Amino acid sequence: MNLLTRRSMLKAAGTTAAASNMAAVELLSQPAMASELARSGKNVILLWLAGGASQLETWDPKPGRPTGGPFAKIQTSIPGVEISELLPKMSTRLNETAIIRSLNTRIADHGQGYFLMDRGRRAEPGIEYPHLGAILAHELGQIDSKVPDYVSMYTSTEGRKQGSAGFLGARYNPMFLTDKMIPEDIQLPDSISDSDHRDRAALRKILSQRFAKSTQHTSVGSHENAYERVRGLMASDYLFDVNREPTAMRDSYGPTQFGEQCLIARRLVEAGVPFVKVARAWWDSHGQNFETHRELCADLDHCMSALLDDLRQRGLLETTLVITLGEFGRTPKINGSLGRDHFANAWSCTLSGCGIRGGTVFGKTDQDGQTVAEGEMNAGDLFATIFSALGISPHKEYMVGSRPIPIADFGSEPCSEVLS
Amino acid sequence: MIPASLKKTNEWKSSDIVFCLEHVAETQQAWCAGSDFHVYRYDLSVEKPERKPFEGEGHTSYVTGMVRQDNTLITCGYDGQLCWWSIDDQRLIRKVAAHERWGRAITSSPDGSTLYTIADDMLCKVWDTSTGVLLETLQDHALQTPNHYPSMLYAVAVSPDGQWLATGDRIGHTAIWSTRSFEKVAELETPIMYTWDPRARRHSIGGIRSLAFSPDSSELAIGGIGKIGNIDHLGGPARLEVFDWQNATQRLEIEDNKKKGLIEQIVWAPGGEWILTAGGDNNGFLTFYNPKTGDLIHQDGQNGHIHEVSISSNFEELVVAAHERLTKWTMQTTQEKPDVHEEPTKESKAVNKADSK
Repeated sequence: MNLLTRRSMLKAAGTTAAASNMAAVELLSQPAMASELARSGKNVILLWLAGGASQLETWDPKPGRPTGGPFAKIQTSIPGVEISELLPKMSTRLNETAIIRSLNTRIADHGQGYFLMDRGRRAEPGIEYPHLGAILAHELGQIDSKVPDYVSMYTSTEGRKQGSAGFLGARYNPMFLTDKMIPEDIQLPDSISDSDHRDRAALRKILSQRFAKSTQHTSVGSHENAYERVRGLMASDYLFDVNREPTAMRDSYGPTQFGEQCLIARRLVEAGVPFVKVARAWWDSHGQNFETHRELCADLDHCMSALLDDLRQRGLLETTLVITLGEFGRTPKINGSLGRDHFANAWSCTLSGCGIRGGTVFGKTDQDGQTVAEGEMNAGDLFATIFSALGISPHKEYMVGSRPIPIADFGSEPCSEVLS
Repeated sequence: MIPASLKKTNEWKSSDIVFCLEHVAETQQAWCAGSDFHVYRYDLSVEKPERKPFEGEGHTSYVTGMVRQDNTLITCGYDGQLCWWSIDDQRLIRKVAAHERWGRAITSSPDGSTLYTIADDMLCKVWDTSTGVLLETLQDHALQTPNHYPSMLYAVAVSPDGQWLATGDRIGHTAIWSTRSFEKVAELETPIMYTWDPRARRHSIGGIRSLAFSPDSSELAIGGIGKIGNIDHLGGPARLEVFDWQNATQRLEIEDNKKKGLIEQIVWAPGGEWILTAGGDNNGFLTFYNPKTGDLIHQDGQNGHIHEVSISSNFEELVVAAHERLTKWTMQTTQEKPDVHEEPTKESKAVNKADSK
């Protein structure tokens, strides 16, 4: 893998602070460095709607059509743009959000759909692609960061997968929180003093370096790196404690678990964590789709609105990209249990904040939501758009052995219409 | 008058979901409504009845409930509207903005003079049938569930003597009201029907979906779904609980794992010989129980989740509103004491709380 790039340049950039202004200008004149600085300090919060939310009950309503369901559409703050009445708070907050209504990702199976929308490409024998969080942790993280690069809060059991950083190495696997929202086992036990811990770390480092000299493998370096960051992570547990927030702030996110996790996500990105995933499951509404969305959309609407408001008020929305995405959408056809089944041929997602042209609606589906009528977008194009919004070239390549692998899938292109 | 056999005699496919209906067996006229927002008339006496829509700017969303009073139909819908329709003229004659949120059900007093509607504003409203004037608003059900999500008010029933009204919500709470004073007189809890699971499924798809008083008004049957194993579907047992409501005592608890899903409607035979439950998962069921013992008397099923059943006055004919179809059934009855026609299986569990004491 080509590690020329980021780390060496970040190191250089770090020393630049003490160097002359002229030296800094020279560094910026190099395209690669300009790109590094363009994306420094950027973050992503992925609101993962596990199970697959219905586009018809969220971002692409079709009231009055046989497929439309019972809910009405409402006018948003953007003239001519209407969304489901189940999202009244978001309807007034679309100024920083782009709605993409034309995803056609074709795979309507949970496992494969998750893989596709987690990695932006289909599985391929012989290579293990990293997921979005790992790529962005790699691209946006700081080598000497005192906070985690990637936190995934996945308390739901539905569709829970930690995922793999693939060829990027274990260094970019998430801090994966499933039961408790505060990481467990990151405090020193009472029996170990701080100086003992430092001594042990020094001994481990000597032994690791000796081992690394005899073993040429990226995973060795990756594990070494993870240990190097232990002390920083141990000191970051306060970020997960919502009780440190004022009551009014906690109230604004609300009492639900999803709300608390969104607040933690804001605390994490504010502290410099580049990628945070918050999974909210049980959207897989094969039965009682409308009751399900009546319940879950209220949660999504409130928590997403609170998150965007909070990020905006803190000046973080310009540097934080908020994504709502799942593995697929749901069928226009309503089944016998008043449910909607899996559907990947014409569905929706949103991008808000960093690098996004707010108030945009990209793509269009037909009158019943069965097919994409305009602006078809696949998973690779969506990932290319996400990378571009963050200032990462979607055409950047990783070298895996001697094989160049583009960061977004082969042939994919960003959607310029939703980029600012 | 015990159901001895049930036979489906007709099935008429529809392009939409039929949520509610009324029918008159003597004239073979039926009226129904559902997911295309319209109200229709069907002449069931012909082999292939054509549905004829009523005229007028009625509902703008799913039509979820219907009652008939003489030559008038009154419907409620997700748009919160209450619509009066002339059967003779087949047109809208009155429209009232009844609720702020989605209208779920409507029923009428035994004499037809009063209407009761419920909606997701968690209110039960009382209306004068003939004038459409709001008489009373009953408030008891919480807007939010204990888990801070929107609650829903699904079921309403009036006792045969007209004195009592019951309303049931998503979290399994039932309020019973006096129709004279409009004071709440009792409460019942059926928490299993809520189906919320904080770990395995942070989400509910259950709730009380049906209510029916016994012929002497002393008991209340509550229908819904039991614990759901499969998180994606209506994969839980159809669940029926019967209470001596004035003493807040549960008398029967029945779970059917053979025909799963929600109990959408409960009909109590006027003589008290049986309780009919209708509903389903992806498909529909019609199940008769002995209300004394909880034993299964008869059960049948059909394609398409059943939303409502209209029974003729002689109890020989049922017309069923279901997913994308109407079906008609004939019922043979016997005057003998009920024999259990189908042995309860391990898939069907009934607990008679009175016997077990």
